[in-house]
Amino acid sequence: MKKEKRFYPDYLSEIIFVVILCLEALLFLILFFPPQLGREIDFTRQYLPRPEWYFNWIFELLKYFPGEFTIFGAIIIPLFFALVVVFIPFLDKRIGLFWTRILAFSLLVVFIILTISGMV
Amino acid sequence: MNALLQWLDKRLSFSQRHGNFLERKIPDGLNYSYCLGGIAFTFFIFLVISGLLLSLYYIPHERAAYQSIVTINEEMILGRIVRGIHKWSASLFIIFTILHSLRVFITRSYLPPRDLNWMTGALTMIFSMASGFTGYLLPWDQKAFWATEVGTSIFKTIPFIGEDIVILIRGGQDISGTTLTRFYAIHVLYLPLIIGLLLWGHFHMVKRLGIAKRL
Repeated sequence: MKKEKRFYPDYLSEIIFVVILCLEALLFLILFFPPQLGREIDFTRQYLPRPEWYFNWIFELLKYFPGEFTIFGAIIIPLFFALVVVFIPFLDKRIGLFWTRILAFSLLVVFIILTISGMV
Repeated sequence: MNALLQWLDKRLSFSQRHGNFLERKIPDGLNYSYCLGGIAFTFFIFLVISGLLLSLYYIPHERAAYQSIVTINEEMILGRIVRGIHKWSASLFIIFTILHSLRVFITRSYLPPRDLNWMTGALTMIFSMASGFTGYLLPWDQKAFWATEVGTSIFKTIPFIGEDIVILIRGGQDISGTTLTRFYAIHVLYLPLIIGLLLWGHFHMVKRLGIAKRL
């Protein structure tokens, strides 16, 4: 019979191991990709900035809704994404597991494609 | 050490409250995907620690902010490393919250009574993104300024109240020192407090409800 695992000390030692691994990965990333600092603000020299990668999907979304439709890319679609994510448990109850998965995974695919599309 | 713990325990009685937490059994059939939330929390802790260190030297003023970052980068011992930890932990925190929520979604662990727990997690994710947005302005360099210019003007598209919302966020018509103070306060006071409370609820429910049985 397998020995029963308990939080202490079995899982705690594994947790500490993972924490150390995280710190090592972090230091590795900093060594090879140190944080950048741009030029000092120049209010007269406008330039088109890229947002943080996790906002890139909204940034890309805006390109599909020019002019008076901007509100769809800027507010309505991101808000829809957020509401779906927050209310997943209630969606599952209302429309069932199958349709919840279809909806959630299609939103995920859109998110991934838009996130990547600006970078390459 | 033991005597000290007992002395504290007599006054705080934590072993009674939290003893079960350390003794509890962990259900079978867990794999390493159950680590993802813990890894996200690890990066949250790194964010708090590095943020506290950065706040010792960062000056949230329009004429001093940029220079204070240069000082942190060039002169402070390990300053560049601490900034790197903050920057990279933020990205990794977002990545691992997404992966963690995917794991919960796939194992369908969000079903009642854990539905509220899912919602606190989802809200944490949204507030973390707000944290990333406000933190982006703080270096007060070209990229920060123009990214915030674009990011905040998004709210102008809301009919009727859009203009007012932008003024509320920026603290005026344009991005200025007021915006910097505002974003700094939101980044270091409001959002950490909100996220901290949400995470407390999140872990409290994990503790009370236990880990969901696998499907």
